Amino acid sequence: MSSETLVPSQQRELTDVAFDPITRIVGNLGIYTKIDFPRREVVECRSTSSIFRGYSVFMKGKDPRDAHFITSRICGICGDNHATCSVYAQNMAYGVKPPPLADWIINLGEAAEYMFDHTIFQDNMVFVDYCERMVKETNPGVWERAERTPAPRADRHGLRTIGEIMASYNPFEGSTYKEALEMSRLTREMICLMEGRHVHPSTLYPGGVGTVATPQVFTDYLVRLTRCLDFIKRAVAMNDDVFDFFYEALPGYEEVGRRRTLLGCWGAFQDPEVVDYDYRTMNTWGNAMFVTPGIVVDNQLVTTDLVDINLGMRILLGSSYYEDWEGEETFVDTDPLGNPVDRRHPWNQTTLPAPQKRDLNGGNYSWVMSPRWYDKRTGDHLALDTGGGPIARLWATALADKVRTPYVRSTGHSVEIDLPRTPSSPEVRLEWKPPAFPNTIERNRARMYFVAYAAGMALHFVDKALGEVRAGRTKVFQDFTVPSDGIGVGFHEAVRGVLSHHLVIRDRKIANYHPYPPTPWNASPRDSYGTPGPYEDAVQGCPIFEENGPDGFKGIDIMRTVRSFDPCLPCGVHMYLGGGRTLKQSHSPTFGAHS
Amino acid sequence: MGITVGKPDVRVDKAAHVPGVRRGNHQGLGKHQPGHRRDDTSTARRSTGINARRHDPIMPDMPNLSPA
Repeated sequence: MSSETLVPSQQRELTDVAFDPITRIVGNLGIYTKIDFPRREVVECRSTSSIFRGYSVFMKGKDPRDAHFITSRICGICGDNHATCSVYAQNMAYGVKPPPLADWIINLGEAAEYMFDHTIFQDNMVFVDYCERMVKETNPGVWERAERTPAPRADRHGLRTIGEIMASYNPFEGSTYKEALEMSRLTREMICLMEGRHVHPSTLYPGGVGTVATPQVFTDYLVRLTRCLDFIKRAVAMNDDVFDFFYEALPGYEEVGRRRTLLGCWGAFQDPEVVDYDYRTMNTWGNAMFVTPGIVVDNQLVTTDLVDINLGMRILLGSSYYEDWEGEETFVDTDPLGNPVDRRHPWNQTTLPAPQKRDLNGGNYSWVMSPRWYDKRTGDHLALDTGGGPIARLWATALADKVRTPYVRSTGHSVEIDLPRTPSSPEVRLEWKPPAFPNTIERNRARMYFVAYAAGMALHFVDKALGEVRAGRTKVFQDFTVPSDGIGVGFHEAVRGVLSHHLVIRDRKIANYHPYPPTPWNASPRDSYGTPGPYEDAVQGCPIFEENGPDGFKGIDIMRTVRSFDPCLPCGVHMYLGGGRTLKQSHSPTFGAHS
Repeated sequence: MGITVGKPDVRVDKAAHVPGVRRGNHQGLGKHQPGHRRDDTSTARRSTGINARRHDPIMPDMPNLSPA
C-alpha cells in the first residue's frame, strides 16, 4: 500500500491510497482509491488488473474437443467449473445429450467444488480480516467488546464468546482456520472421486464422463460428505454470530460495500431428466436447474430465461487495453431461435490486445474488459455483479421459487436448507432470506449458507445417482460426431459467480471461443458509458470504520469489501513468441506504475 | 498498438484433429465396447475379460453391478 496527500480539491482533503497487489486472492488486482480521511469516506476508486491471459486468442484453430481440457487451466482453483461449462457448450454444439448418470456425477463433483472453494476462501482468507489479530490492530475498541460479548449460537458451535470465535479465525493457529484446511482435503477427495482429479478434471468430456459408476464411488463420497456436514452446521452458526456482532458493534457498518442490487446468476446443477443441451429449449432446462439462473435488479427478479440472459450480454471497452473489434468478422448473426445477436456479444467478439501505459486519470487502466447486461426494459447496460457468487445464486433461487428437493427448497422469498443428523450434530434447518441490499457482510454471510446449500444438494444427487446404479443403468457416455459448423454456449456458476463459455465451430475447428468468468463482471473498469465496475462502485462512498489514521492505515474496510466479491484474477502471463526468442518489452501496466 | 510477435513455428491449428485418426467419441463406437449393453446397463465384462460371466449376478432380477 502506498499513500500520498493530494492538493485539497472541492473542499475535500483527499489522500491517494493504493492497494496493489491485493493479497489473499488469486491473481493480480490493484485498487486505487482517493480517501477523505477527515470525513472518513472513500471518494473515488479504480480497479485495475495487470494480467493478460489470451485464451480467446489462442483457442482459435484448435480441436473443439480439447476445449474443456485447455480452458480448465484458466484457473488454479475453479478449473473444474471451466471444464464443466466448456462441456456444456460442447454438448450444445455437438447436439449430444449425456446419459443421466453422467450429469448426476458432474453435479456431485461441482457440489463438492463449491463446498471446497467457498470454505477455503471464507475460513482461510476472508476471516483473516475478521480475526482477533486483525481486529485488534484495526479496531481495538471492537475487540474489547467482542471479548465480553457472549455468542448467541454457542450451543451450536461450542465457542462461548465472539472473541473466542474471532480467535479461532487467527491464521495458522486458530481452530476454525485449521479445521477448514482439513475440510478442504475431504472435499477435494470428493471432487476426485467424481471428476478424476482436482482442479483440472480428467474424466469430464462432452457426451458424458469417464468415471466408473460403482456403488463404492458414491458411498465413498457420502462418507466424506457426512463428515463435512458437521463442520458446515457449526460454520454457519459462527458466521451468523460474527456478522451480527459487527452490525451491533459498529452501527452503520451495513453501509460498507453497499451497492445497488444488480446481481447475476447463470444457474448450476443440470437436471438430467429435463436437460437436452439444445439451445432452442434452453429456457425450459435452464429453469429446471437446481440453482435457478436469474438477474435480480433492485431486489426484483427480472428474468430466469437463459436465452434472454444470453442475448443481453454485451462486452464493452472504455478503459481496457484492447482495440475495438467493430471492423472484425461477425460470427453469429442470429441465434438458433432466430433472434439477432449483437456485435458486442461474446459470440462475435474478437480480442485485439493493445498493451499500453496505465492511465488512471481518464485513460485506459485495466486488462479486464467491461461485460454488461443490456436491460431491454430501460435500455441500460447494467454492471451486474455476482457478489462473490453465493448471494446472487441464493437470491435468484429464492425469488424464482422453482427448486424443490428433499433437502433444499425455494419458497419464493427465501431458501430453506435441511441438513440431516450427522455423527456429532443434530439435524438443522437453515433459512436464507435476501437482505435489504447487498453489502460486504451479506456477501460474506451468503457464502457459508451456499456451502450448506451445495451439501444439501449433494445429498440429493447421491440419492439420484445411486438410484440409477441400483437400477443397473450404468451408462455414463454417449458417443457423438463433431459437426463441421456449429455454435454452443455453456452457462454455469463458477464458485465466485457467473460463468459462460461461447463457442463457434467452423470446419471442425474452433473459430471463436470466449469464456466469461465472474471476475470480468466484478472487477471491470469504467465502460464506454462511464459506468464504474462493481468493485469500484462498492468501494466508492464506502465509510471508513477503521480506528487507525492515515499513518497506520490498513484499509481494512476497503479490503473486506473487495474480498467479499471473492476476487480471482487468474495468474500469470505466458506468451510464447516464436523461434525460442523471449521478447523483452516492458509494458507500463506493472506493479505500482502510477505516474 | 498491438503485440509484436515473432514468426510462429507451427500453424495455430496444429493441435486440431487429423482426418483418419480414430476418435474415442465416434458415433457408433459405443456398440464395440465390451460389457456395455444397448439398454444402458452393463455386465461384469465391462470390468474384466477373465471369466466375466462368473462375476455376473446369480439371479436375473438382481442389478448387474460390475466391479470397477
